[in-house]
Amino acid sequence: MSAPFDLLEPTRRHFLSGAGLGLAGLALGRLFGRDETLPHFAPRAKRVVYLFQSGAPSQQDLFDYKPLLNEKNGEELPDEVRRGQRLTGMSANQSTLPLAGAQFEFRRHGACGMWVSDLLPHTAKIVDELCFVRSMYTEAINHDPAITFFQTGSEIAGRPSMGSWISYGLGSLNENLPAFTVLVTKNKGGQPLYSRLWGSGFLPTHHQGVQLRAGRDPVLYLTDPEGVSPATRRRMLASLRRLHEGQLEREGDPEIRTRIANYEMAYRMQTSVPEVTDFASEPDETFELYGEDAREPGTYAANCVLARRLLERDVRFVQLYHKGWDQHDNLPAGIRVQCAETDRASAALVVDLKRRGLLEDTLVVWGGEFGRTSYSQGKLTADNYGRDHHPRCFTIWLAGGGVKPGHIHGETDPYGYNVVRNPVHVHDLQATILHLLGFDHERLVYKHQGRRYRLTDVHGHVVDDILA
Amino acid sequence: MNALHVKALLAFSAIVSLYGSSLVAAPPSEEPKVDFGREIRPLLSDRCFPCHGPDRAARLREGGIRLDDFDSATEDLGGYAPIVPGNPEDSEVVYRITSDDPSVRMPPPDSNLSLSVEEIARIERWIAQGAKYDEHWAFVPPRRRLHPFVVDAGWVRDDLDRFTLARFEAAGESPAPEADRETWIRRVSYDLTGLPPSLEEVDSFLADESVGAHETVVDRLLASPRYGERMAADWLDLARYADSYGYQNDVERRVWPWRDWVIRSFNQNMPYDEFIVWQLAGDLLRAPSRAQRLATTFNRLHRQTNEGGSVDEEFRTEYVADRVNTFGTAFLGLTMECARCHDHKFDPVAHENYYGLAAFFDNIDESGLYSHFTSAVPTPALLLTEPEDDARIAELEESIASAENALAETAEPERFLDGHVGGFSFEAIEEGALANASDAEKPGRVADDPRVAPGRFGNGLELSGENNATFPGVGEFRRWDPFTLSLWIRTPDRKDRAVVLHRSRAWTDAGSCGYQLLLEHGRPSFSLIHFWPGDAIRVRAREPIPEERWVHVAVTYDGSSRADGVELYLDGVVLETETVRDHLTRDIVSGGGLVLTLGQRFRDRGFAGGRVDELHVFDRRLNPDEIALLHAGWTPATRFEPADSPWSAAHEELRSLRAELGKLVDATPAIMTMVETDEPRPTYRLERGSYALRAEQVEPHTPPAVHPFPDDLPRNRLGLARWLTDPEHPLTARVAANRLWQLVFGRGLVATPEDFGSQGSPPADQALLDYLALELVASGWDVKAMVKRLALSSTYRQSTEGTSQRLPAEWIRDGALLASGLLVERIGGPSVKPYQPPGLWKEKSGQVYQADAGDGLYRRSLYTFWKRTSPPPSMMIFDAGKREVCVARRRTTNTPLQALVLWNDPQYVEASRALAERVLREADASEDARLTYAFRLLATRRPSEEELAVLRELLDDQRAEFAEHPEDARALLTVGEHVRDPELDEIELAAYAVVASTLMSYDPVVTRR
Repeated sequence: MSAPFDLLEPTRRHFLSGAGLGLAGLALGRLFGRDETLPHFAPRAKRVVYLFQSGAPSQQDLFDYKPLLNEKNGEELPDEVRRGQRLTGMSANQSTLPLAGAQFEFRRHGACGMWVSDLLPHTAKIVDELCFVRSMYTEAINHDPAITFFQTGSEIAGRPSMGSWISYGLGSLNENLPAFTVLVTKNKGGQPLYSRLWGSGFLPTHHQGVQLRAGRDPVLYLTDPEGVSPATRRRMLASLRRLHEGQLEREGDPEIRTRIANYEMAYRMQTSVPEVTDFASEPDETFELYGEDAREPGTYAANCVLARRLLERDVRFVQLYHKGWDQHDNLPAGIRVQCAETDRASAALVVDLKRRGLLEDTLVVWGGEFGRTSYSQGKLTADNYGRDHHPRCFTIWLAGGGVKPGHIHGETDPYGYNVVRNPVHVHDLQATILHLLGFDHERLVYKHQGRRYRLTDVHGHVVDDILA
Repeated sequence: MNALHVKALLAFSAIVSLYGSSLVAAPPSEEPKVDFGREIRPLLSDRCFPCHGPDRAARLREGGIRLDDFDSATEDLGGYAPIVPGNPEDSEVVYRITSDDPSVRMPPPDSNLSLSVEEIARIERWIAQGAKYDEHWAFVPPRRRLHPFVVDAGWVRDDLDRFTLARFEAAGESPAPEADRETWIRRVSYDLTGLPPSLEEVDSFLADESVGAHETVVDRLLASPRYGERMAADWLDLARYADSYGYQNDVERRVWPWRDWVIRSFNQNMPYDEFIVWQLAGDLLRAPSRAQRLATTFNRLHRQTNEGGSVDEEFRTEYVADRVNTFGTAFLGLTMECARCHDHKFDPVAHENYYGLAAFFDNIDESGLYSHFTSAVPTPALLLTEPEDDARIAELEESIASAENALAETAEPERFLDGHVGGFSFEAIEEGALANASDAEKPGRVADDPRVAPGRFGNGLELSGENNATFPGVGEFRRWDPFTLSLWIRTPDRKDRAVVLHRSRAWTDAGSCGYQLLLEHGRPSFSLIHFWPGDAIRVRAREPIPEERWVHVAVTYDGSSRADGVELYLDGVVLETETVRDHLTRDIVSGGGLVLTLGQRFRDRGFAGGRVDELHVFDRRLNPDEIALLHAGWTPATRFEPADSPWSAAHEELRSLRAELGKLVDATPAIMTMVETDEPRPTYRLERGSYALRAEQVEPHTPPAVHPFPDDLPRNRLGLARWLTDPEHPLTARVAANRLWQLVFGRGLVATPEDFGSQGSPPADQALLDYLALELVASGWDVKAMVKRLALSSTYRQSTEGTSQRLPAEWIRDGALLASGLLVERIGGPSVKPYQPPGLWKEKSGQVYQADAGDGLYRRSLYTFWKRTSPPPSMMIFDAGKREVCVARRRTTNTPLQALVLWNDPQYVEASRALAERVLREADASEDARLTYAFRLLATRRPSEEELAVLRELLDDQRAEFAEHPEDARALLTVGEHVRDPELDEIELAAYAVVASTLMSYDPVVTRR
């Protein structure tokens, strides 16, 4: 029988399955044979909210002010700036690569003096809370590999997502909500998303992100079917409990005990999840802050409010996605829409977390998967241009959770094409996020196929300069 | 669990750990002998090999010390040696691993690795005992050994039982008692078919007192087509099977015919060696059958992209790598992917060996991108005709051959530039239009301001590379239409690539579907393309055309779909050409919005700075004299048709036959397979695995340390498959036998079926594994025979808690559907779309998931449509494989979300009420009989009195509740598409549905014990 051979790895399976939503990191540490407890050191952040701007926002039109592009508008991108770097097949064959200046006004804001374009009036008001990294760079030049790289540390599918790593490393602080939740703006076109972005890769499935969705079932299958009243559900659960206790006695399988606990947690989730997704208790003031569209479930603004409610309840990792930033053409019109949908709520979330005392130990991250080109993809006209994918530089911002407020890190060349100071690679950002959560990114490992895997692969350096 | 079991298990666990250190065999006075393979290699591998193992570059960085073989480890390095056998004190290794000095200490602190006190002591003891090395067990072919001696021979039903029994006896224990018959038949039915037994099957087994009762059951299960479905489900995980391509837009692809081949092969009990030879290299077998070629789809099931702007070679490199990784995991049980970027750190697979394997998988005419604008099947592709089509195709091919002969023997009448369907002289652009001398109704159009400039005769058009001229309604040719294109061009420079004239939607984004005249390195090339490169004709001039000078270029095509039907002319003279591709089998008109276009193409390089004049299009193949006339400046003055002639009749006959064949083929589905190119593609070692960093060229080869590659085998995939299935191969049969053990016992003898290398788990019982591997080979790789032996063994018949496992995703759903009577059993066919919460596809990619109506809701789960970027959540929550990469085992979790699926997924709610109907219709009328019936249908056993009491109470309460709220009863009975039996009482039915729904999530129902 396999029984004797099972015992070569005693009780691992049972232990594993005990790791429901509520199992603490300490236990997981022991479970996977790590000879250390997690986190590795005192964390600066207990929670993370990642505002992923999918499609890649144009840094030249939002944060990375390049007046030279306006001066040289229409001139060819100089070879000494491009340095033979590869382009995507979407613009590589253009007969010309005309530089395109931003068509938006830039101003300096706050004590830190950060340049922000007029597209982001709300973000501009809180720059002194934010830590800007203008020198992000990545390797991929296409969306799928790039976003997969950002979220899993590898361009190739199969690795756990950042939230899964954090769920695995830290466990949950809330027995009744998933440790890793995912919110996607509804009804947005643009670059597709993939469930692998919040998947658990080779980590056990319960570390995968749980999507909270607008509509009848905020969590898939949460709501009882028509005709099953709360009383019926309670009765079914009570019957199951009695059945399972008898079964446990008969079989002695600890898995049954876990099942009992999980069923009760599922039942509690049926209450706790609607409680968190129902905004009835939110005062009008919330919607004044986040904007009226926060009343409409599934909008970016509503998801920001929901994120705050989840963070308040100590959900570890809240991952938002907002699609539609892929402005290959008609950039001026497209980016206006994107900013109108996201600017106010993004800023509101930071403000809201701060006044609730949560910003201190909550890390907020805002950014896309790569940057956009300084030259126009397609025709450059007096009032229109597009920008292709650009992995060599882009801007993101962070806030709270142990990063310097009002700080500007890194610099790009006057063409906004290459990083000239303090480059930050995707793995560096990942290492830094893990660091803020109390992990040494080189020691948060999971052995799979004989190899110790990390979110940061074999790379990554903590960006000390941005730590508060 | 009774006390006896506990005792047996505990004793067994002790024995297993003792076995490792050979304590049992050691004389009591001596120090225990350390077993290198079990106790030392895993340690050295895990803590030392990352820098001191097979990876040459890592060793070089770390001072050249090598600990993975005896000779290197004991080498004198100038007064010291890493290991001095028999002398731990003098061994550098011991000094290093025991030092307190962090600059000396090994493993170094920054590696985040360490050795425990016990592990250090073990290494010292091993060195003291002589530091004996053995080759890694998995690379030494299994050898026949004497069966272990057992006392209780009566327990043994199959020789494999001797191995397990010997262990029990060595520990002074007995095996667990036999499982009761209900437990066994449930177990074996699930394990062999993925479905529980029916009550008739249970009852007949319970009543069968014959000696062969168990065998009768197993034979029935193995003969059932469900067996093939169950076996296929596991294979789909390994093969990373999915119904969509996987990257970004994740478009649907049609590969289910391969899945059906797998099911058939298992059901027909194809020998395992043949099964893998076909999948790896069926196309290279002599006169391969269609099934043999279809089997090779296995190698194409990796993810593929069509994301705009992707670099073709970057993704093609990924595909080849995925084939190698899958080959490694599925057949060798080795983690090849480590060696993609550098030497493997743990196993003897050098960096160049990885590319040696890649060289086997590199030689198909494929693209790194599938087509966004067309639904072309990425090449190479196999036509999946029905038998009647085959006959018709053969007939047509024969008729075409005779029609070609007939035409060749008929004299063509005199021609004079007739068939003129488009003539553009570019003298002027008037309101965006270009006059068409042949048909005033069909003028050309310009976009983005091409310039009228001096031409060859009068004016011509100058292009920027971004602008164009289009000719709607002109040149709408199918691949069976003969045609001629003629124009004057003047190129300002030698173009690496320039699109001069084409009728296609796009370049790589459409697989180039259409026809196109390009300049490639200055050389005119003409192509007719269904999907580039594998389904296309391309003919290219051997010499570049002159620059800064007007030249006349013409193309004629005869409608044959053959490269020799294309001629290129320069200045009125036929050009010497090379045939780049000569394999056009499908349409050239897909992609939408096709229009004959001059000078530019979507995301391609246009004819920048080029000038064009006198474009003429003919719907027939002009003869050389006519081309010479065009070159001489003649233009067709008026359109005229020559009189009917025997030639024109023969010509029309041929054209219509070709059209009929073309249309038949175009309407026939195709599937991606492997087809070896005539010339192998040179394969290079890639630094850090990057497509852009080519190092030296690598010839196809296998890792020499794994198994020698016989000289007489061809260095192609077929040779590779033969190498793999050589009975002497140390891995193939072990990996297969281990997987069969895992299939039946829930866990492999090697617990890491994906890794038999030095980082994998050592086999729990190598003698048993080797025995099974040898038996498998000796039986002619007879899978059913091996499964039967495992299932009928005494070892399998025990009742122990250790075998219990939550059912896999597919079985839970299929079991519920079977019990409820809703399951629709049909083998194969297109994948189906059962219930899924709304909006999941839409929010990710804008696509809409439309659930099937009727049967598609109730098919077995292996037929559920698998979209990689949004897989079915009810299966993912139960740990189904993700199907992005090859996976050899699933991990089982136990989570609250699983309860929610079982309670609320309409699939299970509907199954509950259907089950309730069945119970009310089929069971005896008593309440207990009904509850027992429901319980047995789901759990295979009878409920205990206590269980029955719980269910009775629930039923009563629900009856009362629904009596009070009949609208709830009615609502519950409308969940799902199944129409309820109107004869049955609503309240009663709903109350039973609640009981059934409760049982659906009850442990004995979702667990196999």
